[in-house]
Amino acid sequence: MNVSLYLNHGTWVHRLDGRTKTLVVLGFFVLALCFSHPAYLLGILALVVGGLVAAQAGINVKKIWVLATLLVCYSMMLWPFFVEGETPVPVFDVFGVTWEGCVFGLGMGIRLLIMVWGGVWLLSTSTIEELAQASQQLGLPARGGFVFSLAFRWVGILMGAGIGVIQAQRSRGLDLSSGSIMERIRKYVPLVVPLIGHALRQTNLLAMALESKGFHPTAHRSVLKTGKMKSPDYAVLIFLNMLLGMSGWMWWHGIGTLTVRF
Amino acid sequence: MITQFACYDPRRWWADLVSVWQDTRLIVVTAQIAAIYAAILIPFKAGIPLIPGFVELRPANAIPIVASLLFGPAAAWGAGIGNIIGDCFGTLGPASVFGFLGNFLFGYLPYLMWGNLGWLSSGQPPLVQSWRQGMEYGLICVVASGVCAGIIGWGVELLGLLPFVVLAPAIFFNNIVMSLLLGPPLLMFLYPRVQRWHLRYEDIRSSFVAQDNLRPSGKPSSVEYELSPGIADARTHESLLDCKNLSFYYPNEQNPALQNLSFSISPGEMVMLLGRSGSGKSTFCYACNGLIPHMIAGELTGSLQVCGESTRVTPVWKRADRVGLVFQDFETQLVGTTMEAELLHPLEYRQPPLSFNDVKRRISSALSSVGLEPSLDRDPMTMSGGQRQRLVIASVLVQEPQLFILDEPSSDLDPVTRMQLRQTLRQLRDAGMALLMTEQDHDDLQLADRVILLDEGRIVWEGSPDALLRDPHTMRNRGIRPLALTECFEELVCESLPLTIDEAVACAEKMNLMISPPAAVLDDTIRLGELPSLRGSQPDPFVRFEDVYFQYADQPILRNINCFIYPGEFLALLGANGSGKSTCARLLNGLLAPVEGRILIDGLDTRTTSMNELVKRVGLVFQNPDHQIFADTVWEEVAFGAKNLGCSQEEIVVRVRESLAAVGLSVEESAGLDPFSLRKGERQRVAVASILATRPAMLIFDEPTTGLDAEETDRMMAMIRDLNRKGHTIVMITHSMRSVAEYAQRCLLMKDGQIVADGSPRDIFQDSALVRTASLEIPLLSQFSQRWGYTLLTVNEVKASLKPNVR
Repeated sequence: MNVSLYLNHGTWVHRLDGRTKTLVVLGFFVLALCFSHPAYLLGILALVVGGLVAAQAGINVKKIWVLATLLVCYSMMLWPFFVEGETPVPVFDVFGVTWEGCVFGLGMGIRLLIMVWGGVWLLSTSTIEELAQASQQLGLPARGGFVFSLAFRWVGILMGAGIGVIQAQRSRGLDLSSGSIMERIRKYVPLVVPLIGHALRQTNLLAMALESKGFHPTAHRSVLKTGKMKSPDYAVLIFLNMLLGMSGWMWWHGIGTLTVRF
Repeated sequence: MITQFACYDPRRWWADLVSVWQDTRLIVVTAQIAAIYAAILIPFKAGIPLIPGFVELRPANAIPIVASLLFGPAAAWGAGIGNIIGDCFGTLGPASVFGFLGNFLFGYLPYLMWGNLGWLSSGQPPLVQSWRQGMEYGLICVVASGVCAGIIGWGVELLGLLPFVVLAPAIFFNNIVMSLLLGPPLLMFLYPRVQRWHLRYEDIRSSFVAQDNLRPSGKPSSVEYELSPGIADARTHESLLDCKNLSFYYPNEQNPALQNLSFSISPGEMVMLLGRSGSGKSTFCYACNGLIPHMIAGELTGSLQVCGESTRVTPVWKRADRVGLVFQDFETQLVGTTMEAELLHPLEYRQPPLSFNDVKRRISSALSSVGLEPSLDRDPMTMSGGQRQRLVIASVLVQEPQLFILDEPSSDLDPVTRMQLRQTLRQLRDAGMALLMTEQDHDDLQLADRVILLDEGRIVWEGSPDALLRDPHTMRNRGIRPLALTECFEELVCESLPLTIDEAVACAEKMNLMISPPAAVLDDTIRLGELPSLRGSQPDPFVRFEDVYFQYADQPILRNINCFIYPGEFLALLGANGSGKSTCARLLNGLLAPVEGRILIDGLDTRTTSMNELVKRVGLVFQNPDHQIFADTVWEEVAFGAKNLGCSQEEIVVRVRESLAAVGLSVEESAGLDPFSLRKGERQRVAVASILATRPAMLIFDEPTTGLDAEETDRMMAMIRDLNRKGHTIVMITHSMRSVAEYAQRCLLMKDGQIVADGSPRDIFQDSALVRTASLEIPLLSQFSQRWGYTLLTVNEVKASLKPNVR
């Protein structure tokens, strides 16, 4: 079962170095945190959307649109109840809802969307190994990246096994949809135990398989696929730095920031 | 009596956290916990939303606490990384940092707290079997769930994404409910098993792998086996592998896994180790690349030199560039999410680092050796089983080893993929590589230059493949199935037993024999014996497929399936991987529903009949018994299905006894055993018994003999035949043409989601070209008998049909 969001489209965005893509996404997150006014955040969102279009990642946006919509709606609907303001909203003013709160909620909804779509952009354009390698090149420990990519690889296998387990237990009459909440939760034991048992039986074998291929925690890991930073990488990073510098300056001067009380 | 039990020593919290990253097994456990957490998070949903579409009750939230009490700090890292992987399905963002931190503590605090709560601690292992343990567990759940929810809620509010008071309580509720309800039973099932497998954090941390347990053997070398002529002379001083009096005992085992092995392998030689399950083949493979004694503890005596070095001197990972090993379960060796990552991974640990050009050359050469297209961005999980195996072989070949070891490489492959593998191995041998291969069947024997037959860890025969194949008596005595063609001529006075069809024809002609089958062959009496008359004169079909069409995500899997299955039949479903056989099985017991058309089981439409009603009529035995086994004892496991159907206690007892007896397991001896401790063949029997307890009229077996040796296969097939004779309708999905020829009454041959032939095995095998179009090959026996215009299926049929040529 393939669980990765990576799309093998070979666009110029895909060809960027892993480090560049990681830094761009971190840049998106910082930019989103610099502003709280919806108008400014919309500008950043447009940038993220541009990135998604350039990466031809629409299919992944479509995959998570329900989740993204719900998150944005929750943010937009809930924040007004927790933010103080001066202009009450008719009907809802009994709950303390103000226009300032609504605008703040809208801004936070857009911020959330920037973050979710920014993550989707990175995952659509980079393989897990590329991310692990980029994190190593950016100074994070190599072993962490390796475990992350190893676990990611096994998720698909375990999910496939999980479906097999569900089918095997349903074939023995296990009905997950009946009974009280307590009973339904307890019925997960016959599903979870075989799956964990299946994985753990292989622990020693997996460790042996790794060392047989030359892996050892103390061994130095070289980065063999050294994607060299090319002109597009530098261009993107220069543009990002300029944007970050400008946004930092605006944040310092309170431009694009809503002043709210909670 | 209360014993002092604490998972954690407060003085070593930092050492604990760091130690996870210093041991390969702990690294694997960490990755496994992360993968389990993420894998359960997605498909297992209780369907009860806390924040609709965003937070809902999920069984996965019990995993960090349970894992923490079993695997300590590995669970903390695993839970944190697992949460980030979960975010990679669409919610990766700055909040993932807080998700990591919250889940890290959710998986770390229980380990820190258990046994360290002063008078509140039970002093007992982390199970919930007494009120004190329950109280300790409950307290830990509250604290760990609260800390996790607090950190994530605070972080998400800090980022301005959602208010704390909305998110934190939902996370807390989810964590606490799942931990309290699911945690105790999970611990009850998992703790004893993890303890038995020596996988608890404490066990791994303190595990001692004997580095110096190779003691000089005091015992004299004793060559007790038969050595075929010329072999001793062939041993050279330039051996790549040279073992002398090698013996090995697993810990706490009375019998040796290897006994006084002495032999050598030269460059450019292919040696095959043959033997039944448990004969020591895999153990020897592990010894060759140093896994024994560096990673597998035990007592090793004698000497084993590989590439001029003793295996006990250099650790496994430092030998990877000289000795390549492909495991029997080759999927465990796949570590990357792209082909390129898979091939680069072994080269990344080479010292000094390889040049870019060298890496490129090695990858291109390895891929061309195994005949794989260089689509380096391709995800291995999108490849077929055979392609994945070739990728694993390529990932070993990139290291350019001098000795290449393959442990049962063809056990899970269909005939076409087997053929491709043989070709690859031949090329490698011709290129000068030394190969050591293990098998439990004779299928690939002729590939080897030399065969070594192992039994109970000893070499019992050594010689050329031809010599062994012409000696069916030795093969049979050592649990290896002889070549069917040689068996046919075994009792005849024949100069040399035939190995090929041409040799068999020549042999028959020389003895003036021809194939002239008697009526008892053609009416299947010799092959199937006297069949009970279950069908009557005009039986109603038990199963009706009517214009059935099925697809997964716009990909048609089954097209226009129309067929009947009659009560009491033994039907084989044949076809290459991906031809739609397993989908048919899942449609039959209602796990899937047809997109078009309908399936009637005993008159009931599977689309409108409940699963529980169908389960009473159709039992599906899955290929992997481990996908269903969960209970503490064989009795509980077998009783599970009957309980689900609401049977009374008395009825359950009757059914369990009856089912265990039907699969040949003794109630007294096996009922109390842990099913996880049984061998694969026995676990498969428990799985069959648990299905039988639901008393289905029809049983479907999905590849029932995969991974079993000849004797286990015969036992399994005999059991299935007995069930058929007791009145069960049997549907068997298989690649094994021998099993079909020997046991099936009827075959359905499938290709690309359609039935291309329906008839008796004899009728279907008659058209060998048609069978070949479905990527299968008819048995050699049938090909042999077809020289005389008859299609015979079994050794007994051929023996009964060989008559003097009177023309």
